[in-house]
Amino acid sequence: MCGIVGYVGFRNADEVAISALRRLEYRGYDSWGVAIAKDGEIVVKKNVGAIGDIKDFSLGGGKIGLGHTRWATHGKPSEINAHPHLDCKGRIAVVHNGIISNFRSLRERLENEGHTFRSETDTEVIPHLIESWVERGEDFADAVMKTAEELQGSYAFVAMKADDARLVAVRYKSPLVLGVGDGEFFLASDIPAMLEYTNRVVYLDDGESVIVSKDGYRILKNGVEVEKGIEIVPWSIEDAEKGGYEHFMLKEIHENPRVVEDTLLEYLGEDIEIDSRIFAGISDILFVACGTSFHACLIGKYLIEELAGIPVRVEYASEFNYSNPPLSRTLVVGITQSGETADTLEAMRKAKKLGMRVLAITNVLGSTATRLADHVIYTRAGPEIGVAATKTFIAQLTVLYLIAAKISNLPPKEIEELLNELRSIPQKIRQILDMEDEISSISETFAGYENMMYVGRGIGYPIALEGALKLKEISYIHAEGYPAGELKHGPFALLGEKTPVVACIVRDKTYDSMLGNIKEIKARESPVIAVANEEDDEIEKFVDYTIRVPSTNPILTPLTYSVALQLFAYYVARLRGCEIDKPRNLAKSVTVE
Amino acid sequence: MQAVILAAGEGTRMRPLTYTKPKVMLPVANKPILEHLIIELKKAGIDNLILVVGYRSETIRGYFSDGSRWGVKIKYIEQRRQLGTADALKSATHLINSDFIMLNGDNIVSAEDIAKIASSKRALGVYSVPKPQDFGVVVVEDGKVKRIIEKPSQPPTNTINAGVYKFDTAVLDYLEKTGVSERGEYEVTDTIQLAISDGIVFEAVELNRWIDVGYPWDLLRANEALLKDVKPEIKGEVEDGAVIKGNVFIDEGSVVMSGSYIIGPVVIGRNCRIGPCCFIRPFTSIGDNCHIGAFVEVKNSIVMSNTNLPHLNYVGDSVIGEGCNFGAGTKVANLRLDEREIKVPVKGKIVSTGRKKFGAVVGDGVKTGINVSINVGAMVGNDVFIAPGKVVGGTVEPGTFLR
Repeated sequence: MCGIVGYVGFRNADEVAISALRRLEYRGYDSWGVAIAKDGEIVVKKNVGAIGDIKDFSLGGGKIGLGHTRWATHGKPSEINAHPHLDCKGRIAVVHNGIISNFRSLRERLENEGHTFRSETDTEVIPHLIESWVERGEDFADAVMKTAEELQGSYAFVAMKADDARLVAVRYKSPLVLGVGDGEFFLASDIPAMLEYTNRVVYLDDGESVIVSKDGYRILKNGVEVEKGIEIVPWSIEDAEKGGYEHFMLKEIHENPRVVEDTLLEYLGEDIEIDSRIFAGISDILFVACGTSFHACLIGKYLIEELAGIPVRVEYASEFNYSNPPLSRTLVVGITQSGETADTLEAMRKAKKLGMRVLAITNVLGSTATRLADHVIYTRAGPEIGVAATKTFIAQLTVLYLIAAKISNLPPKEIEELLNELRSIPQKIRQILDMEDEISSISETFAGYENMMYVGRGIGYPIALEGALKLKEISYIHAEGYPAGELKHGPFALLGEKTPVVACIVRDKTYDSMLGNIKEIKARESPVIAVANEEDDEIEKFVDYTIRVPSTNPILTPLTYSVALQLFAYYVARLRGCEIDKPRNLAKSVTVE
Repeated sequence: MQAVILAAGEGTRMRPLTYTKPKVMLPVANKPILEHLIIELKKAGIDNLILVVGYRSETIRGYFSDGSRWGVKIKYIEQRRQLGTADALKSATHLINSDFIMLNGDNIVSAEDIAKIASSKRALGVYSVPKPQDFGVVVVEDGKVKRIIEKPSQPPTNTINAGVYKFDTAVLDYLEKTGVSERGEYEVTDTIQLAISDGIVFEAVELNRWIDVGYPWDLLRANEALLKDVKPEIKGEVEDGAVIKGNVFIDEGSVVMSGSYIIGPVVIGRNCRIGPCCFIRPFTSIGDNCHIGAFVEVKNSIVMSNTNLPHLNYVGDSVIGEGCNFGAGTKVANLRLDEREIKVPVKGKIVSTGRKKFGAVVGDGVKTGINVSINVGAMVGNDVFIAPGKVVGGTVEPGTFLR
């Protein structure tokens, strides 16, 4: 997981590269580097740490350059391992995102040929391979294409040569977008990098390469030029900025109501406007996802089985890739916010190979997942910068409700009632956001603990899982989500006054059992916070703190409870002084397996 | 000679019309404001144009492309953040290689005035207005610019800066030194002021014509001014029994059916169906592919392309966006019962239009049911649906369904 940028045009490439990299920091931020070509020489600057810390950076201009912000996969974060990487003579510079899986054999061969390597990275084979082709008399662009043919794995890389006015980039299974300006062009892993300069982009596809100079660009696939349309990105620069909030995460939590509204606006008119052909003739559904999206899938399973009676399985994408699941007329649904999650993409590829119909639910237009899948449903959440997923999770859930309702076999009247209640959810989420002070004051009591347990039953269980994930990823408190009924089978041993429990109690058939569990937990002296329906007037007798959430049909509680738990995690992390938008060791979109 | 045209802003005072296109693309006399300006530039012999674009730039790029249809060469600069006129000019400096003129894309200036300014070494176009306090007021001595005062409460003269400049490349050096103004922008007037204080001379050139549009009702004024020059021509078809009086231009493919009565100046675009039996009164511009149906009266209005006023409608002193459809009997009121000046809400403030007769401003894609009444001064956002029989006034947010 890394961010790469390239620039050629009339501006100072070093300044453009730095400003573009800042916008890609969500993709990784343990080290960074910039290279420019000027007066026939390549000048490189690398650093360990986040770009946010740098001031008055300059390499003295140059109208062509590239940059990289890194999240280490091969080789620890260090100046030597930071990109750009150079060839032996320092004439060719490369930035790369992805993994070169055959780099060991390539490196061995190149070393035998006399090439000297400086870093431990897989990337460094690329400049040396280009160098070897150039030495054999190939034109720089041809040398890059020939190099790409030798690479295995996943990559998007940009190369430049000291005495060449062109950037050459190749994409294969890692994201790369070309930004089209006026007499200037941009290459980047993601759109926010170039939004400061242009909103006209060309999405590159796997196997495509692009040769860019200040006068224009050519896109090639298998050596043949291809014509691709320019698309207009509707996001403003401000869309990708904090908008007055202290952290992106808080801003994005506050966007939850709008995100639900936008998603409903998109897919819910008189009818549910989702292509019914996606679901025609299927026997069952298999969800594949990672992290927060996985929790969305668990809720999706509950919804679809409850409303539509279709069997649903949910698999971690990373595990699915090793299993041989029995499939029949299975619809495989990959949920990935970025559309670039490597494991989820691999699972989708595998499903395609097995002849399954594949649906992608993603937030990023033109992402790899959208091109891999037979069908795509977009969540309308807009760019999410905070590493911890918040609004995109709520958007995924909204889509899953619509899907479940679409394929439901319940009487139309019941469905209509549910949809009407779904329409009222944005207002209810706003009421929760208005309770921010209350939730923040509860979080003060819990910021000092090192362990927490989140429990729930039925639909409350995946809510607990996601609540725990939010807390652990941003506050570094060890938090575990558990089915309440399973506590007795082990985790009870962990309870005590130093382990608070968050109980997600839903007013449905699980209510009485949950109440029983809460009493058992209290008997072990664990402090208990309940997240409960506002009409629940007895819960307070049994717990220490209650976060009251506007009442809804129980099946819709994930949309409300989760927002309350997002706020809780945020305020705990803030009190603990954590780097909320960029938690240690984590990256926004995980493009390596 | 090169010309730098500033066309990056949205023109928020022009909402709801600018929700869907930038101000410079709003049509008067059936052409975008910017097109009028480009035609005048070409007439003045200036064909090397640099357009600084930003807000919804795709509409400008899509319409003008490389400019060859107008016999000019257009290069574009994307200004993603609009930080002021000096910043816009700065973003274009890498394309400037000689003396050049600079203009606002939302003003219309005549070819004669442009040529006059272009022939000077360094100049600033000035214009006399009755209420100068809303503009940059220029103090002129012996035909030279002495000072520019932004929006003074007590203007020393009625001479204002028309935003048309002639620069030589020496002026570009002062762009770097230009600081942020009181209203938080980098302004080219500050750049000029810096140059003047170094002894660089700017000639003040009096313009004969300067059409500026700030608010939507200014479009009606601009439309009126431009329609006064319309050359009568009928390229389409006029059926027997239709009456055409005064200067009326009817473009290819349009049909005026029997019983229609048109009093110029009026322009009608391509492929319109007009009538039968409608009444189109002076100073009306009707875009392409419009339908003005039976028993419809339109007066002193701009009706943009692909819009239908099909049956029993009245539209007076109004601007109707693209792709609208009025239900039968939908009418716009344009006069208060007490005949007082009409005031409208703009960006949350009440602004006086200075007009006793003013109808409505209707954004693109608005559909009304039958017998909708739109009150004076209504500002209806784009893509609004209005149910039959509703009475609509004030500001209606885009995308609303009024039922």
